[in-house]
Amino acid sequence: MNKLPLIFLGVFLTFASSWVGLVVYPYFALGRMQPLPDEDTGGFFPPSNPGLAVAGQRVYAANGCVYCHSQQVRRAPLSTDIEKGLGPRQTVARDYLRAQPVFLGTMRTGPDLTNIGVRQPDANWHHKHLYEPQTVTDWSVMPSFRYLYRMQEIQGQPSANAVKGLSGPHAPPPGFEVVPTDEANALVAYLLSLKRNYPLPESPEPPVKK
Amino acid sequence: MKPHSLISSFNPANEPDTLASHERAEIDASTRLPVLLFFSSAIFWLLIGSLLGLISAWKMTHPWFLDQMAWLTFGRLRPAHLNAVIYGWASAAGIGVGLWLMARLCRIPLIHSKLLISAAIFWNLGVFVGVLGILAGDSRSIEWLEFPGYATPILFVAYAFIGIWAIIMFRFRKPGHVYVSQWYLFAAFLWFPWLYATANILLIWQPIQGSAQGAVNWWFAHNVLGLWFTPIGLASAYYMIPKVIGRPIHSYYLSILGFWSLALFYSWNGMHHLIGGPFPAWMISASVVASIMMFIPVVTVAINHHMTMRGHFDALKWSPTLRFTVFGAMTYTVVSLQGSSMAIPSLNTLTHFTDYTIGHAHLGLYGFFSMMMFGAMYYIVPRLTGWEWPSATAIRWHFWLVASGIILMVGSLSLGGVLQGLALYDPQVSFRSSLDYATPFRMVRGISGFLLLAGHLVFAGHFAVMLLKIGRRREGPALFAEPSKPEAATV
Amino acid sequence: MTAGFLLLIGGLVFLSGSALFAFYWSVKDGQLDNLGEAAKTIFDDGEPIGAATDKFPSRK
Repeated sequence: MNKLPLIFLGVFLTFASSWVGLVVYPYFALGRMQPLPDEDTGGFFPPSNPGLAVAGQRVYAANGCVYCHSQQVRRAPLSTDIEKGLGPRQTVARDYLRAQPVFLGTMRTGPDLTNIGVRQPDANWHHKHLYEPQTVTDWSVMPSFRYLYRMQEIQGQPSANAVKGLSGPHAPPPGFEVVPTDEANALVAYLLSLKRNYPLPESPEPPVKK
Repeated sequence: MKPHSLISSFNPANEPDTLASHERAEIDASTRLPVLLFFSSAIFWLLIGSLLGLISAWKMTHPWFLDQMAWLTFGRLRPAHLNAVIYGWASAAGIGVGLWLMARLCRIPLIHSKLLISAAIFWNLGVFVGVLGILAGDSRSIEWLEFPGYATPILFVAYAFIGIWAIIMFRFRKPGHVYVSQWYLFAAFLWFPWLYATANILLIWQPIQGSAQGAVNWWFAHNVLGLWFTPIGLASAYYMIPKVIGRPIHSYYLSILGFWSLALFYSWNGMHHLIGGPFPAWMISASVVASIMMFIPVVTVAINHHMTMRGHFDALKWSPTLRFTVFGAMTYTVVSLQGSSMAIPSLNTLTHFTDYTIGHAHLGLYGFFSMMMFGAMYYIVPRLTGWEWPSATAIRWHFWLVASGIILMVGSLSLGGVLQGLALYDPQVSFRSSLDYATPFRMVRGISGFLLLAGHLVFAGHFAVMLLKIGRRREGPALFAEPSKPEAATV
Repeated sequence: MTAGFLLLIGGLVFLSGSALFAFYWSVKDGQLDNLGEAAKTIFDDGEPIGAATDKFPSRK
């Protein structure tokens, strides 16, 4: 029984240590990390995002995309993420410097989006997919985000930004078109900005497996 | 009872006669209003939360279901469900149980109930504003912290009232030993504001940069479970089990040891949600080791409860409190060992990013904590209202509906999650297969949601009948129940 | 920086301080001296050891 005080003391210090390790340390070490200058172009890694993409993060958060889509590529052999084509290399702390908030995610009900801007660089594809996912992938369980779009009567010429390629039951009736709202445009700009394929010295690309 | 002023309460020396009044009945009666207020609002949010969860569950297999309106989209309903359940139901129920236990264990009538009543009002206002904010599109999408920035300060005010009250009560307690449940409660009441404030400041008000957010996020989210819900649940178990069967806890030494090792290991656990993520390897490793070390406090609790119960398991047949509490205590062992195993990297590879994690979360928050709270409520409410629960049948329905519901839910999600994980891991298998494997199990999970909601409706109805005092009155005051011989099995 | 920094350092000092104080107090107060008896403190004359205090509502 007389060892109890000693145990207590150890417990207190270790408990405080989790605060140091998981909160204070990241605050200083990860929180002060800087983007890496890119000597070839004078830019930075990770590159800064256009303002619309920054606004798109809010739309991404408001509609809870993070509950089904992760944004992290883990190394082998912990995972087969790289082999599965989620990205060319493991994502590291520097990749998330410009994210606010950081959408690492804990579920993969849908595919990982770390590099969705590389895999699907076409804005219209994203609009079509958000408007009605089943038109792109018929087995998708993603809900439609139709409420981010407006159905309107075509005035003269069809609008330049109307969503193209909607067919079957999801196509707008003749004389109508589907146009994205500002929120949809921001969200797609954000998705297109998700490209973590630039080189970082701390995360070399592993050799490609055959 | 003389009235206390808030200021004088910090100095018990000025207080002449608090310690004189210590009748248990008086203590229980003094807690009536605040505790029942927390309980009834908790049950209200339980119903709302289960409904939101049920709709979310069905949306996972039927994406076209209610997909026309922004506020009903899956990505808003799911966090609304989580937050309604975490803050609206579980926290409020835990606070209610905590208040009553504090009064009982301090052996004084509850003082400053106005402080607590204001806290209850603020708390519900905060949850209400927060849930509406999420549905309206202001969710932060930071898991467990989705409430928008305008809702969290309201919760914090409510919380501050409770924390101040807890300190006052502790200062006024009747002299004598501080029972282990009180250690747990006091720690929970002090840890929570610290966790909540840190997470809100570093993630919402003055967001830190980059992936450090992930570390703070999971440090918070896991500690809410480990340093808020778990201590309250265990405090309840450490009081209810000995009281109901009339036998002191088997090893009090183990219980104290368990308390401190919980604080030690649990606080480091959070990062195991981010294994493989963009963090220095040592942070993840430390979390994995701490997660596995959780074995120690868990086993001490399990042994202790089992040894206390030994020879008294027939009490499960007649005591509703004990049946729910023991279900919760056993689940605590299972869910904690499961959690430790999920932190082992080779197993984590399989379960990470899958429904298995969702099953685990429900087993912890529902199978363990919510069942503990139901058990405690069955014990406490008759002592507050002076009415015994009117219907044993309703209690039985409640138990079997929610017990089968949670087992079905966790079973289906775990199986489906492993298959999903195998598909996600194998480079030869397409992403589509991971959905095909998971979908039938998600359907079963959707059905389990109906069982849980039905159980909650039975419980809520029974509770309402109890508050309104409709029906037959039990003989003699419920508080002073005859020490009873175990009755014949009635199940 | 400043608010976060104060929070971090303040939190550390407050937390460790209060924990150490709680520990110091519990030893000094004798809370840890007789754990065998302590387990019995939740029982009293009205609800003694050996008597159950909860049961299913009767079916009559």
